[in-house]
Amino acid sequence: MNNTFNLQRFGLLLKRQWLEFGKIFLITLLVVLGVFIAFYGYNLLPLGNNLGYNVLNFREPLFMVFGFLFISIIASTYFAHLGQKSRAVIDLMIPASIFEKFLAGVCFTGILASASFIILFYLTDLAFVSYVKGHLHDVGAATDSATYFFAKNNPNQFKPLYLAPLFITSVFLLGSVYFNRFHYIKTAISVMVFSGIWTYIIVKATKALLSGKVPIHENANNGKETAELWVFIGLSVLTLIIWSITYVRLKEKEV
Amino acid sequence: MEFRDNKAIYLQIAEYVCEHILLGKWQADQKIPSVREMAVALEVNPNTVMRTYELLQNKNIINNKRGIGFFIADDAIANVKAYRKGQFMDDELPSVFRNIYLLGIGFDELQTRYNTFVKETFNA
Amino acid sequence: MIKINNLNFGYSKNRPLFSDMSMQLSFGHIYGLLGKNGAGKSSLLKNLAGLVYAQSGQLDVLGFDPAKRQPALLQQICFIPEEFYLPAVKVDAYVKANAAFYPNFDHNYFASLLAEFDIPVGQKLINMSYGQKKKVIISFGLATQAKLVIMDEPTNGLDIPSKAQFRKIMASVLTDERCIIISTHQVRDLDNLIDTVIMLDENKVALKASVDEITEKLCFKRVKEIDETVIYAEPSLAGYNAVVPNYHQEDSRLDIELLFNAVLAEKNKLKPIFN
Repeated sequence: MNNTFNLQRFGLLLKRQWLEFGKIFLITLLVVLGVFIAFYGYNLLPLGNNLGYNVLNFREPLFMVFGFLFISIIASTYFAHLGQKSRAVIDLMIPASIFEKFLAGVCFTGILASASFIILFYLTDLAFVSYVKGHLHDVGAATDSATYFFAKNNPNQFKPLYLAPLFITSVFLLGSVYFNRFHYIKTAISVMVFSGIWTYIIVKATKALLSGKVPIHENANNGKETAELWVFIGLSVLTLIIWSITYVRLKEKEV
Repeated sequence: MEFRDNKAIYLQIAEYVCEHILLGKWQADQKIPSVREMAVALEVNPNTVMRTYELLQNKNIINNKRGIGFFIADDAIANVKAYRKGQFMDDELPSVFRNIYLLGIGFDELQTRYNTFVKETFNA
Repeated sequence: MIKINNLNFGYSKNRPLFSDMSMQLSFGHIYGLLGKNGAGKSSLLKNLAGLVYAQSGQLDVLGFDPAKRQPALLQQICFIPEEFYLPAVKVDAYVKANAAFYPNFDHNYFASLLAEFDIPVGQKLINMSYGQKKKVIISFGLATQAKLVIMDEPTNGLDIPSKAQFRKIMASVLTDERCIIISTHQVRDLDNLIDTVIMLDENKVALKASVDEITEKLCFKRVKEIDETVIYAEPSLAGYNAVVPNYHQEDSRLDIELLFNAVLAEKNKLKPIFN
């Protein structure tokens, strides 16, 4: 018997986890849908002639803020119950490997949560924009379609963005297995402290290294591509490291 | 079945089986409950019942037909009586004697008591 | 088969719970794990199940190291914790989601256990009382046909008829290929089921002996007066309940509570008897 990974067992585990986690997931998704509808409704309805060219400007912050909130909340609840003795015992005793349990966590948070948020946003946007388009003429390019939103905010312009959902969920997933309670707030505070320290160090280091110096080679595109590559690599490495720590923490989780 | 406080459980189960034999509920060559069935019925560890059955086998009260189960031996009644008599003489009689002595009870009185008891209880 | 070798365990470094504990458990027995509050009964069970990690020492459970939490071992363990949480689903949904992890899961047996415990299958787990939930997880655990059955205070929360049902069920599940370990404070609930007593005290196994061995070496009886042969005695209505060395090969019934108190109070007198 393979004690690390078995596809059939992994399938069973996904099904089993869904039974419990699915409820929280769907309820949160429903709340998100409610928020979407509220925002679109408040900004677009009732349909009048007051539809200016910037009326849809709320879409970007809505997508970013609630996207972040949704995936981070989902990720920080996934392993949260392992902090409770009574729930952890049953879960840890389920005959699936630690790797499978970890992978299920990544699938539900990094992949399912991000994908379902994007789809939900896309569908809500599509519905409202088509509704508006059906009732009004000449409302400007901004209301072309939902596809327009994603085309306008094309992550291709800054490729590391593709990794953002995985990175964010990996951090909060680690928080959910690392802390025993108040997972979200503790993770958020840790991230702030951590990034604060890093920013401080980098700023100080840059100052120390570069003060009094002048750049002599300037690229035509200001090194955007190089920067993109480095951020991409950095983010992937960081995500992988955080996943590894999560796996180890899960392995070491005691009741 | 209610177990008494002072006697080993496996012996109390042996008594229980013997009682069934003496009262004719279980007859010679009849199959008795398996170790597991007996353990479940009495809510005791099967190993305890196994010990009882081994004891009763040694006393030739039951025998083990391999693969089938335990059966009442042919001369079980006589063996039960011999076994119980030995137990009674060794374990119970001394404390009865002790009381008879301490309370100064005469053998005549015991005799009459015994006769009425037999008459009332067993209609003999 | 379980082998514990020089196990050192504690929740903090300076307060050890077990120091150099060694013990072997084998199939075909119901072990009764006893000890005062905080003696480490639950912790020992958790060590065996791989839910906590020892500081040092070897643990061999059915040929596996439980700390690795391998599925091959986990599917052979039925662990009934004292406190547990079951999801808000119906019994059959719970079984559907969990039973497939156990290759030997016996659905008919599960149904018959539930029937014996009088649990309606269509009821939601969340609406059940603690005792009912406990019966569900006991039934589920036993239906997995696990080789190692570990139960932490299983009779806690069971009503009077359920305790009798529980005893009947436990009597029926003991086989030569199974090892059952039950920790309990309610010795009266289980004393005829236990065939080997394990007592934890002062970071060690204070006593591990089969009921037969104990009653061969010790006699539990009522005495009128305490003389020098008495190891330990407690006053009762008619004299004393006493533990004495079994000089005359008397077959007395083990009184686990009395033994428990005797071990706590008279460790030094009992030690030579069991070595």
